[in-house]
Amino acid sequence: MSILDWSVLAVTLLVIIVYGIVRSRGSKSMDDYLLAGQSLPWYHVGLSVMATQASAVTFLSAPGQGFSDGMRFVQFYFGLPLAMVVLSVTFVPIFHRLKIFTAYEYLESRFDVRVRTLTSGLFLLQRGLSTGLSIYAPSIILSTILGWNIYWTNLLMGGIVLVYTVTGGTKAISYTHLQQMAIVTFAMALAGYLTVKLLPEDVSFVDALHVAGKAGRMNLIDLKFDPDSRYNLWSGLIGGFFLQLSYFGTDQSQVGRYLTGQTIGQSRLGLLMNGLLKVPMQFLILLVGVLVFVFYQYNPSPTFFNKQETDKLKNSQYANAYQIAEIKHQNLTTQRQKAVIDMEMALKTDNEAGQEAAGAVLRETDDALKSVKTDVTKLIQKNNPTADTNDVNYVFLRFVLDYLPHGLIGLLIAVIFSASMGSIASAYSSLASTTVIDIYKRLIKSDSDDAHYLNVSRWSTIGWGIFCIIVAQFANQLGSMIEAVNILGSLFYGVILGVFVVAFYVKSIGGRATFWSAIISEVLVVLSWYLNLTAFLWLNAIGCLLVVGIAWLLQRTLFRAS
Amino acid sequence: MPENPIDNSVDLPPFARSWTQLYTIVMGSLAVEILLFYVLMRWLS
Repeated sequence: MSILDWSVLAVTLLVIIVYGIVRSRGSKSMDDYLLAGQSLPWYHVGLSVMATQASAVTFLSAPGQGFSDGMRFVQFYFGLPLAMVVLSVTFVPIFHRLKIFTAYEYLESRFDVRVRTLTSGLFLLQRGLSTGLSIYAPSIILSTILGWNIYWTNLLMGGIVLVYTVTGGTKAISYTHLQQMAIVTFAMALAGYLTVKLLPEDVSFVDALHVAGKAGRMNLIDLKFDPDSRYNLWSGLIGGFFLQLSYFGTDQSQVGRYLTGQTIGQSRLGLLMNGLLKVPMQFLILLVGVLVFVFYQYNPSPTFFNKQETDKLKNSQYANAYQIAEIKHQNLTTQRQKAVIDMEMALKTDNEAGQEAAGAVLRETDDALKSVKTDVTKLIQKNNPTADTNDVNYVFLRFVLDYLPHGLIGLLIAVIFSASMGSIASAYSSLASTTVIDIYKRLIKSDSDDAHYLNVSRWSTIGWGIFCIIVAQFANQLGSMIEAVNILGSLFYGVILGVFVVAFYVKSIGGRATFWSAIISEVLVVLSWYLNLTAFLWLNAIGCLLVVGIAWLLQRTLFRAS
Repeated sequence: MPENPIDNSVDLPPFARSWTQLYTIVMGSLAVEILLFYVLMRWLS
């Protein structure tokens, strides 16, 4: 990074922090601190919800996904607009009318204090650990590519958020979310524009889309109902719907965002705005990755985008094998460059047979390149068994550093920080509000004044911030980050969702049955994972179904009288 | 905590006359997006 990049990065981060603190001065009550006094308009709610969901990995991983796998990942978000509608109809009015600070407060009014405490405890455990991983995931990528010390990067990533979250609370988070989303949108749009400009002069944006299409990267919709295919229309609509419903309906980091709306209507509008914008936003982020793919059709691409790992290979006993793979890769990229030029000519002359032939060569070379990459990945793993063999997260950042102008590099690093800060701030706030409202105020000290709870909220935010940073410092022993976050979420999300499903939809089941059902289900879910009985993604559905089924059974047998 | 006004149509945007209509617009937009994506994919493949 040049001095210009460092300056852009420093100024962007400083502006976010100062703006957050200045705009949110005067949080004098818990309501102000935790819910921004329920004073925010719909666009604040909507952008805050979006900024919370879009973490740093979204902006690193999604373009990489577009590059290597095409546009089909967009289908994963098709369930989101439907979930926003269901939330607006059911969850939002209930949460607003009960005038609650956290989602778990509702569980006491529906069941009893035990169910509330158990569910909030599960949330704190899951969110506390996964926020640590959320700090570590972008930090490790930045530290690997830029050569920064991982411990300082973790501290910077998790620490600067604390500055404005502790002082300004939810209002600061919401105001900074606005800025963060503006920076992210501007920088990603600029990156997309410059990627098109980097293409050969006679290749237009539409030509680039045609090349991507012929190479199989514009695979937007898969109508086949195939349980083995991770992303298709049906898994997106059905699976995505349940996933988004559990995330937005039961995770306090999101519930805390839409409870800040002035009215039920403003909260609803914020969620519906997310429902309208999320799919197009993901489409555009993936498209940037696809454009990067097209760029590399005309230019030499690295065999493996995590350069640090290939540098290690060059100095290892596998250097010769790696060199052979590199030569194969170079020959294939030359073949690919020729095929893409043939494709361009065929497109310009409307030669359909030529397009088909060039398209077939493009797809063949793409498969051959993937095969070479698999060989290199195996060598990397042999050389360093703990190495991250997935380079999807490195594709976009490598491209940015190698080809985009100075200044924009700093801005895109700021985007990674901004996106990360957005989701981490919401997580800190949700951890603090759940700790104070559901544990401290409810179980430890219930008769103090507002000033005392405000003070405890601030200290709780600091405590959770330190905890999450410590988790991040130890996260390098957990292997693949994304998988670790997903496994952790899957262990708890299903059970928490199951409790809320019973609360909202099975009115005949009471608190005792739900409490014991949640405990039994959690043990069974952890056991299933420990014994490796099923793929971890299924644990969400299993946990939810177990809670509902066991609670129903217990209510009709052991707890019939209650 | 401050009082929340009872839910009514005050918050609705000018292009929707009821919440049901707004929900239909959100779900309809998703349907249109899926259709457009499908057409785009067919055109470019």
